[in-house]
Amino acid sequence: MIYAIETDNLVKEYGGLRALSGITLRIPQGGCFGLLGPNGAGKTTLIRVLTTLLSPTSGRAFLMGHDVVREAASVRTRIGVVPQAMTSDLDLTGYETMDIYARFFGMGRSERSERIDELLGLVGLKDRASDLVATYSGGMRRRLEIARGLVHKPAILILDEPTIGLDPQSRHVVWGLLERFRMEDDLTILLTTHYMDEAEVLCDQVAIIDYGKIVALGTVPGLKSQIPQKDTVELRLTSVDMQVAADWVAGLQGVVGCRVDDTGLFVSTDKGAQIIPLLVGGLKDLGALVTSVTLKQQTLEDVFIHFTGRPIREEEARKVSFLLGAGIPTKWGR
Amino acid sequence: MMHRFLAILERDLRKFIRNPIVVAMSLLMPIIYLVILGNSFQGELRRLPLAVVDMDNGPYSARVMELLASIEAGSGTVVISVVSDQGFAMKALREGIFKAVIVLPPDFSRRVIRNDNAEIGLFLDNAETISAMTIKAAVGGALPELKRDFISVREHHLEAGLRSVELYRKIDYDQTLIPGIVIMAIFLGAMTTGAFNMVMDRFLGVDESYFLTPLTKTDIVMGLVASGLLITTVLAVLVLTLSSVISGYPIWESLSVEGFLLLAAVIIFSTLGLQGIMFVIMGRINHPRIVGVLGGFLNVILFFPSGAIYPVESFPAWLKVFADVNPESYSVHAMRALLFKGAGIEAVKGDIIFLSVFAVLLLGLGTLSFKRAL
Repeated sequence: MIYAIETDNLVKEYGGLRALSGITLRIPQGGCFGLLGPNGAGKTTLIRVLTTLLSPTSGRAFLMGHDVVREAASVRTRIGVVPQAMTSDLDLTGYETMDIYARFFGMGRSERSERIDELLGLVGLKDRASDLVATYSGGMRRRLEIARGLVHKPAILILDEPTIGLDPQSRHVVWGLLERFRMEDDLTILLTTHYMDEAEVLCDQVAIIDYGKIVALGTVPGLKSQIPQKDTVELRLTSVDMQVAADWVAGLQGVVGCRVDDTGLFVSTDKGAQIIPLLVGGLKDLGALVTSVTLKQQTLEDVFIHFTGRPIREEEARKVSFLLGAGIPTKWGR
Repeated sequence: MMHRFLAILERDLRKFIRNPIVVAMSLLMPIIYLVILGNSFQGELRRLPLAVVDMDNGPYSARVMELLASIEAGSGTVVISVVSDQGFAMKALREGIFKAVIVLPPDFSRRVIRNDNAEIGLFLDNAETISAMTIKAAVGGALPELKRDFISVREHHLEAGLRSVELYRKIDYDQTLIPGIVIMAIFLGAMTTGAFNMVMDRFLGVDESYFLTPLTKTDIVMGLVASGLLITTVLAVLVLTLSSVISGYPIWESLSVEGFLLLAAVIIFSTLGLQGIMFVIMGRINHPRIVGVLGGFLNVILFFPSGAIYPVESFPAWLKVFADVNPESYSVHAMRALLFKGAGIEAVKGDIIFLSVFAVLLLGLGTLSFKRAL
């Protein structure tokens, strides 16, 4: 199989801090791969190594077969990147942003013009092409940056938190665009995200990264099946002995656990909504009056929490310059 | 390669023209310097308040009063107030009401008549050096007349007439500032373009998107330098033209084609040299606040010791050493020769060689110190 992105035991250290600790990945061409992880887990560091902005301390990484260290220039021509922070120039128009960026890749005038028109049309910015980027909303700017990342027809699009800070409408627009580009251009997409729904919608495969290591890797359904937490059916009952009801429920096929409280049952199941008619019918036969039924489906968030735990990560505090005060973090400061 | 470098150039030009306040300040600030400095340093000192305490009231003290009155009526350097109380006069001097006090002692006329070392007391407020020196010179210049009056046998010396011949057309002080004003425009242009754009890109995080492209370190530095050079050269020529109009010095009459080309070379190499300094200093700076602080500092340490305001020859030895390595000294020297003396290549080739070598060295260092990484 041809891999668009391949890493082998990638390590990145900053001073004594190990940000990446032996990352090995294989991402097939045309796939969409999601990197999930808490703040400070190493996602952005991995993206920066893959996009040639940082050199790894050890290990190797290849994009479209090119080494990110030895063939950095070749790698840069084959990737489109949408960084986490908005990096488009506010003093340029949307069209100029695209045009100047395309010239960095050596594209000719007519090729540029055609491609920019096409992309701005696709991201819905054709009518605003001659407006300054400073006048764009966050969502528009993000769409422009996605279009900019694709202007030179890269084989791989890498996005670091592409929908962070966007409203739900804009997020859905971005998702639609990514799906479309992936299908139409046979694009390989690597994205980092905090949004589990984003990863579920877009990604064929996800890796959960924590403390610089991959702690889980697979398809979303595959990862869900690995964890004990399943879909939960919450039943509120009266007129029945709860323990009798629980014992009956526990014997049903597809039920992996049942917890009881004073007013009802919490049924853990891998059958999802399918089991609800069976549960309600059976409990009625036992003489129970079912007052409410709630289905809580298992999500990727459950998977995420399972593998990374609940504690908030203690990130290394940033320092602020002695000389400049607040503004730019620095190595030496207070 | 060409595409990439030109793209950076175009980007910076577009950004510059979209910040008209920067354009306006880059033009206005040197012109304001010309107007303020030109008019505050060149004015003749007049109507300095001088108190005279005549404790003698004799014939020669009266003669002194006449001579002082002639200064007042003639050049108008001083305005005389006759004060009877010496204590009051000295108090007023200390309070700044008078710039100087002349005291004619009680035995002044008698001593003059006896030719016995007659003295006049001149008390100066030397906290204002220039006023004090002006009064001293005016009073000192008038006193020989007094001596001539009371020397009974007049001596006649063969007086050698000194006739000064000015080599070039008359140049007022504000006009002599023009080279300094142009170099200030070049400094401001070099400071607000080129390396500054790089600092702003870092500050706003825009640089990350450039590092993700095939742009090399040389592409980035060359593009920034080219845009800075273009903008700064246009600014310098505009400031030169405005300065000549405002100060009334017609540069177009004194510049030959050769002079114009040499002037262009001086402007271009000065710009490149100053841009080189900015690249070396700002190569790793990531906050515009530092640029603001450094800009003011650099302007002072490069502009004032350049000879733009006062001749380098008047500097103490240590400052002369600095002036010898200050590129602005060479720019000012060359521009002064080209604009005021109609000089040719022979007169400015040393300046141009220094400026070009300086530019190559500093831009080379600037490129080396530029970090193409986050």
